[in-house]
Amino acid sequence: MINILRWIVFAIAAIAMNFPIIVTLVTSFKSPRELTSNPGLWVQAPTLDNYATVFTVSDRLNIFLYLVNSLAVAALGTLLAVALALPAAYAIARGKVGERTLLPLIVNLRAVPLVIFAIPLYMMFQWLSLLDTRLGLGLILTIVNLPLALVILVNAIRDLPGELDEAALMDGATRTQILLRVIAPLCRPAIVTGVIFGFITAWNEFLFGLMLTTSNAVPITVGASFFFAASGGGVQWGVASAVMIVGALPPMLLGLLMYRQISGSMTAGAVKG
Amino acid sequence: MTTKTHRSPASEFRLLTMPLVVFLLVFLGFPAIVNLVYSVSSVSFETLRSPEITGFSNFVAVWNDGAFWQASWFSFRFGLLTALLECGLGLFLAIFLAPLIERRSWLMAILMLPLMVAPALVGLMYRLVLHEFAGPVPYYLWTWFGASLSFLGPGSAFWTLVTVETLQWTPFAFLLFYMAYQAIPREIIEASAMDGARYRHRLWYIELPLMAPTIVVALLIRFIDGFRVFDNVYVLTGSGPGGSTASLSIYIYEAFFKQGAIGKAVAASVVLFIASFVVLYGLNTIAARRKGAAR
Repeated sequence: MINILRWIVFAIAAIAMNFPIIVTLVTSFKSPRELTSNPGLWVQAPTLDNYATVFTVSDRLNIFLYLVNSLAVAALGTLLAVALALPAAYAIARGKVGERTLLPLIVNLRAVPLVIFAIPLYMMFQWLSLLDTRLGLGLILTIVNLPLALVILVNAIRDLPGELDEAALMDGATRTQILLRVIAPLCRPAIVTGVIFGFITAWNEFLFGLMLTTSNAVPITVGASFFFAASGGGVQWGVASAVMIVGALPPMLLGLLMYRQISGSMTAGAVKG
Repeated sequence: MTTKTHRSPASEFRLLTMPLVVFLLVFLGFPAIVNLVYSVSSVSFETLRSPEITGFSNFVAVWNDGAFWQASWFSFRFGLLTALLECGLGLFLAIFLAPLIERRSWLMAILMLPLMVAPALVGLMYRLVLHEFAGPVPYYLWTWFGASLSFLGPGSAFWTLVTVETLQWTPFAFLLFYMAYQAIPREIIEASAMDGARYRHRLWYIELPLMAPTIVVALLIRFIDGFRVFDNVYVLTGSGPGGSTASLSIYIYEAFFKQGAIGKAVAASVVLFIASFVVLYGLNTIAARRKGAAR
């Protein structure tokens, strides 16, 4: 009996929390004519026209550009964050260097409203000609990704036995060699988790994309809203829905495939942070 | 045998942190200094590179700006309410659904899905969901009850935003609580069952106290994220109606990009910077003290 109740609660929670995604997915298959007559949650005559429209490049709208931008900045923001965090994490976990300063500073960054750095970063990027470039946005996303990457990697390295390092030191290896040849390969699961999580976070970032890009480096979270006003007049909800589904799909697929790793790292960041 | 002259271990470790330290100095240290200097300067877009230090007039302007206090109040209320709602719902779901999910972990993937979607896109999606003519929610409300609400109007915009945020981030609280619930040692639960403890007693006196640290952490994280909210609110209501849904993040963004009030925007940033520093410092001190006491 109680189990039926559990299933009912699960169904209600799953539908309520995923409701915007469900509605958008359904709407993306509706023709313009159907949209005016049927706002409900079913489709009478499903069509892929909206997706065809979204993937048609016009001089004003280019979804491929936004997707490639998102891919590039998320990749840069993730890989650079891991590359900076890994040696620091090793020094923190093994050398106790920066354990009381660097680590708390970066972990607390997770809780700081990053908008407070937005204006000076905007001016700095203007001086450096980094506004509206993928490099510029990728560098900012690195900051966004650093806290969790560092926490995940510090935890992973702390879990490795210290004898590994000592044995390698005896053989005359330097710390840098140990990091690259011993620690990094053993941390691969943590690195993969950090990369996946960082990629999703970076892909979904909006504030800095909105401020620091205007046309060349616009990511999909910002570019999606361009489709809302595409035709002048009212919003074409079918097209708008299709573009939102396309923009949400990559992180959603990653999330569905890797939910175990992601749930683990989310709790790591939360409990240790 | 090699007779390599080893650098002292600490200096080699320090070298390994250098890339990160340099990166932070450039991308956070420098902006922080710019913030501080510009907040006490008179500056406009024309004199962007030559600020003239004039004292605290920017802070006075922020202090006297009703919109700043309105935004602070919005952020605080929004953060507190969403944190409480998300953690309450998340705790209930984590405990009530645990028997289902223990056996079928893929159910968790479905509940986690909202966390994977950009808050900005979720906000845009709700523009469709709540749209007068194209949205299913008003449609079904009309069909079933013969009436609908103006979800983004003056009276209800705040509550709509709270609902939107809560529905997207309850899964986060759920996830933390589910993990903490699973981490409770089986023996404790079995022992209490042997002693004949009733379910609700076990929940109240054993399980919830063991989960208390996670509950505090989840409330904090969700409060902070709610307090600094930007994406979904910005795309759903901007700051309207009448500035009533401007969070502090939106206030700073609009002061700079829409009004060109650089001094005010920077001063507000510094205020927020100091406020978060004080709060985080306090929290860290408390956490360190409790850790010390536990040892």
